[in-house]
This record gives sequence, structure tokens and C-alpha cells, in this order.
Amino acid sequence: MGSHGGLFYRYQDLAPQLVPLDYTSCPDVKVPYELIGSMPELKDNPFRQRIAQVFSDDGDGHMTLDNFLDMFSVMSEMAPRDLKAYYAFKIYDFNDDGYICAWDLEQTVTKLTRGELSAEEVSLVCEKVLGEADGDHDGRLSLEDFQNMILRAPDFLSTFHIRI
Amino acid sequence: MFSDDQLNEIIVEAENVPSRVVPEKTPVNSSFSMVSSISDIDMTDSQSFGNPDDKKSKQLLRFSTSLNESFLQTLHRSPGSVGIDTSHENIQGGQKLIASLIPMTSRDRIKAIRSQPRTMEEKRNLKKMVDKEKSKQSHRILEFNCCAQCLNSVSQAYRRSKNSLSELLSYISLWQKTFKVIGGKFGTSVLSYFNFLRWLLKFNIFSFIVTFSFIIIPQFTVPEKNTLQFTGLEFFTGAGYFQDTVMYYGFYTNSTVQHGSSGAPYNMQLAYIFTTGACLIVCFFSLLFSMARYFRNNFINPHIYSRGITKLIFCWDFTVTHERAVKLKQKNLSTEIRENLSEIRQENVKLTLNQQLIHVSAHLAAWVVSTGVAIACCVAVYYLAENNSEFLKNHQNPGAVLLLPFLVSCINLATPRLYSLFRLVERYETPRREVYVLLIRNIFLKISIIGILCYYWLNIVAQAGEECWETLIGQEIYRLLLMDFVFSLADSLLGEFLRRLIGMQFPTSLGLQEFDIARNVLELIYAQTLVWIGTFFCPLLPFIQMITLFIMFYVKNISLMMNFQPPSKAWRASQMMTFFIFLLFFPSFTGVLCTLAITIWRLKPSADCGPFRGLPFFIHSIYSWIDTLSKRPGYLWVVWIYQNLIGSVHFFFILTLIVLIITYLYWQITEGRKIMIRLLHEQIINEGKDKMFLIEKLAKLQDMEKRANTSSFTVERRDVEQTSPLHVREHNAAHDLRFRRSVQEENPKV
Repeated sequence: MGSHGGLFYRYQDLAPQLVPLDYTSCPDVKVPYELIGSMPELKDNPFRQRIAQVFSDDGDGHMTLDNFLDMFSVMSEMAPRDLKAYYAFKIYDFNDDGYICAWDLEQTVTKLTRGELSAEEVSLVCEKVLGEADGDHDGRLSLEDFQNMILRAPDFLSTFHIRI
Repeated sequence: MFSDDQLNEIIVEAENVPSRVVPEKTPVNSSFSMVSSISDIDMTDSQSFGNPDDKKSKQLLRFSTSLNESFLQTLHRSPGSVGIDTSHENIQGGQKLIASLIPMTSRDRIKAIRSQPRTMEEKRNLKKMVDKEKSKQSHRILEFNCCAQCLNSVSQAYRRSKNSLSELLSYISLWQKTFKVIGGKFGTSVLSYFNFLRWLLKFNIFSFIVTFSFIIIPQFTVPEKNTLQFTGLEFFTGAGYFQDTVMYYGFYTNSTVQHGSSGAPYNMQLAYIFTTGACLIVCFFSLLFSMARYFRNNFINPHIYSRGITKLIFCWDFTVTHERAVKLKQKNLSTEIRENLSEIRQENVKLTLNQQLIHVSAHLAAWVVSTGVAIACCVAVYYLAENNSEFLKNHQNPGAVLLLPFLVSCINLATPRLYSLFRLVERYETPRREVYVLLIRNIFLKISIIGILCYYWLNIVAQAGEECWETLIGQEIYRLLLMDFVFSLADSLLGEFLRRLIGMQFPTSLGLQEFDIARNVLELIYAQTLVWIGTFFCPLLPFIQMITLFIMFYVKNISLMMNFQPPSKAWRASQMMTFFIFLLFFPSFTGVLCTLAITIWRLKPSADCGPFRGLPFFIHSIYSWIDTLSKRPGYLWVVWIYQNLIGSVHFFFILTLIVLIITYLYWQITEGRKIMIRLLHEQIINEGKDKMFLIEKLAKLQDMEKRANTSSFTVERRDVEQTSPLHVREHNAAHDLRFRRSVQEENPKV
């Protein structure tokens, strides 16, 4: 645990000239997304931009210390399943409309497979996913559908987890 | 089991942060205490993974889902003029939430706040508001408050000390960084093998500490002279010089150790039997609780099939952090998705009767052959074991005792690979079924080999009238373990390197190999079974196994990094771990218990060596202890417990009956819940259909209205006015389809 200096030090290390060591004056400091996205735990994650957007205040990816702590607290091992499912839902909801629609699914699949699948394969996959998981048959996944699906995937808790 | 080793550094560090993030006075206390008590709760709740069984948090989650809805509206900036409605809903929901939080104990309250999907600042504000409300309500009840405060501070101090203790443990926690690297490169599935290894290591450390403190150290204080010569060969054969050391049962004294006239007497017989019993009992409960926890977390609703594509999409492994590993994982995922799509297309293809017959006969043939091979191996082992003694008399070479362990290890090496070859002949519907069948065959082989050896030891060796047969068995087990360790080392260091070199030379089809998790975990289970059996005969065995596991970890780690590629198929790690722990418990541990039970109740200890020399059975040490206790007036309650609870049949009969009744009741409850799930699922589908129906109705009404508006002026205006309140209400419903309450209100009107 060589670089074990606490989460605050990890945050401070990202932008040493921007983040003061002394938070007594409650400074309004935001580390820009480019630095967050270059963290070793996040830099190769296909969803790093969505993660930063979901946990930032304005949805632009620039994070305050509170946002940073929130992010790693939800992505830790101890966070309860419902909390993780809620945030996973927000991450996969690319257009922020409260539902995972077919377009969101297409974005997800594209990010996951890095262009290896053809366009018709991608749309076939999205169709299958909606067919399996859409409980109330409205053509998109609501939070309840997602949570229901997560219940049947016991690996979710161990895979939706970032080690720091 | 796995999560409570690794401290949640984040929550602990979140506690460290506020000591720097120090705004003003009052928010400090609230944020510090909240965050630190959140961390306290995390420590105490590290056993319960999510809190689904907690009724209060369930209630709160229901509130939180209604808040979620309003949250989603406000956070996601949905279009439309629903701002006022949702903020009103938000305030109402918030008040409901605060009202529900106030009557809870502070521990439940913090748990509930923590599970809310809000940012930290909002959680702090929420806690502030709840505290304010609570202080408003309760400043009248002063005396009660004082008492509650005392208890509160005591419990807080206790939680803080537990917190610092677990923080200390996390610094000592083994191999944390290595796990991160392995998980980052190879994913969660390969990591589960190493986690399992670490867990078994903990068992062995505990057994070693217990046996060392209670048996070995007392024996060191009354040593006997060791007259044998020490040659280097003892490390391999376990015989010779080691025979007269604390390593084996035979060395232990049967006397009551007492130093000086005033020292406390220490009965070696009782110590020996109770120490072994205590180790086994602790292992039993630890296995039971781990198995129960895994089973509870990973139980899947049986009416939904699990072959679906949804899990591939939404269960991306966020722990993988190396660039090459991520790219490889993406490529593998694409391949799996393509396979899944083609499977779905092929699902409708029905097999002809001919093909079905061929498949069934192939399966049958494979099972017959595998069982035959297992039985043949067992017979070979038994034959060699039986003839071992004459063989040893003929060959004076002391290394000849290694022949039997060598044969057993060869069987363990070759036969699983033979079983894997059956894959070429058999075709399975799902890859998961293939893995399970392979595992069952391997387990059957290994357990039957151990079983046949135990039978040989307990029936032949123990009753052959040899001197110190317990030590002989201990030596046999030591040799088996050692040979197994040597073979594993050779396999990792030589075999896997060779495989990589071959794979690099012919780059066409072989490529790098993948880590076979199932085979490696079975080897660990096999070794642990031997250790559990052998601890009675060779008390130093947990120590040896500890060293073995330690070395194996590093060897496997290095071999993994150099010779393997990440797994290509999604491996359902958590289900597999449940199955492995179940395997560890059922065939393995219960077999050990049976063997030791037979030893203690049925076998005659050797007459000249060991702590039980001279007794007719091992268990007689307990009987004589109870006899001596019954003569002392202060300990009659122990005798009563022994005679009426442990020794009486009626007690166990009544206990079994009660357990069966409770099991039956729980089974009925489970069946009822399954029916309820099915009904609720159907209800969701029906509500969806209702929604579609209402949207279509709305569209039709809007169409009619438009046509009515454009075609006439004053005549239809009254109609429009009549329908407009209806229309406005339906318009709101159209915007707010998630609020089913309003939609259902419209139902009778429409």
C-alpha cells in the first residue's frame, strides 16, 4: 500500500496547485474532468466519462471533493445493492431522461464492444435486452426494471466496484 | 467472509477527511459524527451485505423510491411544467422521510440515511434536519435522555474502538496490493481463487495457534529424549528423527503435567481431545455461516432463466484497470455476445430423435467411463497400500515409502485432464452444466481416493497391532501432502512455463492458456481435507499447510502473471464460490467428521505411545473425566449436562423434530413467496398494458378535440369547455405517466 494516503490525498494529488491542503475555509474547488479521467483506476474504464458526469454537481464531469468521496463511496465494496443499482442506472442512462431507452442501450453496447460489432448486431442486442428486462413493456427500462434485473445478477455487486 | 477482511478504506478515509475538512463548529460535529458513525455502522454492518431484511430500511427504501421519482424529475431536468407539482411532492416526500426517521434509533437512522441515493451534502443536511426535529420533540423527557445519552456514548466508544481495531487489521491484511493487481488484470473470477486460498490460510493459522498454545507448548515443557539420528531425508518421509518430536501423536505424554507442587495441573489427554474438537467446531461454524451468507446473496429467482444477454451488458467488470486487459475483455465480450446471439437463433432448432439418442448415449458412456476410471484408481491405491508393508520389508531403501503418495499424486494429476478430454465427445446445452459435471466427476475421484485411504488406515493399519499406529497414519498423511505440494509446484513452475513456450512456438491455435479455476480450487479443497483429518494424528500439520499455502500463493501469482491470459468467458464467480464452499462443507468436512468420529469412538489407542495410551477407546478419556467430576460437588452441573443433554437420545429426538417442523414452515413460506412474485410480475405487465391503453385513448381524444376545434366555432365551444377540465387532467397524466395514482383516478372517469 505504497500510495496509501487516504482519499483526500488522492484527490489533492490530482491537482496539487488547485486543491489546498487546508479545507477550513471551505473552498469551492472543482478538479476538471480531464484530471479525474486520468486516474489509474478510471483511465481505461469505458464508462469513465459517464461516471464523472453522474457524480459531478452540474453533470459536466468536474468534481468537488464531496463528489469525489461520493463516487468512491458508492463504488466501494460496502455500498448496499440498491444504492449501486441506482447509480449504475444513472450511468447507463446516457440522455438523462430517467429511462434507459434503446438509444442508451446502443451507446452502452458500443462502448462495451469498442466497435467490434456491426450496427445490425448492436440493434439486435438492444432488442434482446429490452425483450428480457422490460417488465412493463413500454419499450424502455425504468429504474424498477433495472433493479429487478440486478437482483438476478449476483455478480453485480462484485463487478460494480472500483478498488482504490 | 471475503468482505470483512478488506476494510472499506473509503469509509474509513471518509472519517479521516473531516478532520481536515473543518468548516465551522456545529457542522463539524454533525458531519464528523455522521460520517464517522456511518463508518462505524459500516464496520458493524460489514457482515450484512445489503440490508434487505431490515424492515425499517425496507420501509425507507419505499419512501426513497417515491423520492427517487421526484429526484429523477428534478435532477434530470425533464421538460414540461411539472416543476411545481414535483417540488410539492419533494417537500411532502422529504417530510415523510424525516417523520419516519425520527422514531428510529440512531443506528437505524444512520443506516437508512446512508442507503439514500443522495450526495453527501444532502445527507448531512437531512441528518441536521432530523436532529433538529428530534431535539424539538424530546427536550421534555430529560431523565430518559440522560440514560439514553450514557448508553449512546458507551456504544459509540465501543464502535470507535472496533473501528480502530479493524483499521489496524487492514494494515496487517495480507496481499491487499497483489489482489488489486490480479483483479485489475484478470478480473473478479481469477481473484476468487486467490481469495479462497487466503481464506483457507486463515483457517490454518487459527488451527495452528490453537494447537500450538494448548498442546505443543505444554508438551515442550515435559520433553523426552530424542535418540534418533537426523538425516536430511526426514523432510520427505516424515519418519526417522521426526518420529520422536512434537510433530506426531506418539510423542505426547499421557500424564497430567504439573510444574512444582503449586502449579495448576494440565491434563494432556483432555487438552488433546478438546483442542482438536475446538478447531473442528470453529471450522464448522465458520463454514456454515459463510455458506449461508453466500447462498443468501447469490440465490437466483428460479423462474427467470439466466442465460440472457442482459447480464453480459450490465455486469461489466469495473475492477479491471489495465489497458490491455480492458481491450482483451472488450474483444471477449463481443465474441460472447455473438455466440449468445447465434445461440438464441439456434435455440429453435430441434434435434431429431437420432441425434438425441446419440447425445444421451455419449453422456452415458462418458459417465460410465469416468466412474470406471475412478473405481480403477481406488482399487490400485488400495492394492498398493495393502501390499505396501511387504514391499517395504523387501526394499530397504527409506525412500520407498514415497511410492504410495507418488501414485496418488500422479492419479490426481492425470485423471482430471482425462476428464477434460471427454468434452470432445460430449455436447452440453450450456457451458455452465459442462463445468458442473466436470467438477462433480473430479470431486468424486478425489473424495473416493481419500475415502479408500481412510478405510485402509482405520481398518487395517489401526488394527494390525503395530506399535504407535497413530504416528504411522500421521506420517502417511504428511507424505501425501508433501508429494501433492511438490507436484503442484512442478506443475506451476515447469508445466505452465512449458505450455507457454509451446504456445508461443505454434501461434496458430493454442495461444496462451487460461487459468483453470475449478481444478485449482479442487486441489486446495483436497489438501485442506487431508489437513483436517491429519491434525489429530500430527498436530503440526496446520503449520506445514500454512507454509505450503503461503508458498503456493506466490508461485501461482508469478506463474499467472507470466503464463496466462485473462479468461475469455464470463465466469459466474459468486455462484461458483457458493458451490465451492458447499463442496468444502459437504463431502469434505463431513467426511472428516465421520473419520474422526470413527477413530474416537471405535478404535483402540496404541498401548505404548501418545496421550491416550492404555485406554480401551479414545472416548474413555472423556468418560473418566466425567467420572472424576461427578465426585466433586462443585461441578455436578457439567455432569448433569453431559448425562441428560449430550448423552440422552430423547433430547436429540425432540431437537430433530423441532428443526424439521421449522424447516417445513420455512419451506411453505418460500413457496408462498414464489407464488406472490409470479402474481406481482403479472400485475406489472398488466399495468403496462393499462398504460398503453390509456395513452391510445388520450391520443384519440386529443385528435377528436383538434378536429372539433378546427371544424366549428361556437357550437363546439361548450363541448370543448366541458371536456377541457377532463383534458387538462389527462394532459397532466400524460406528462406524469409514472404517477400511477393520478392515472388510476382517471380510469373511472375515462
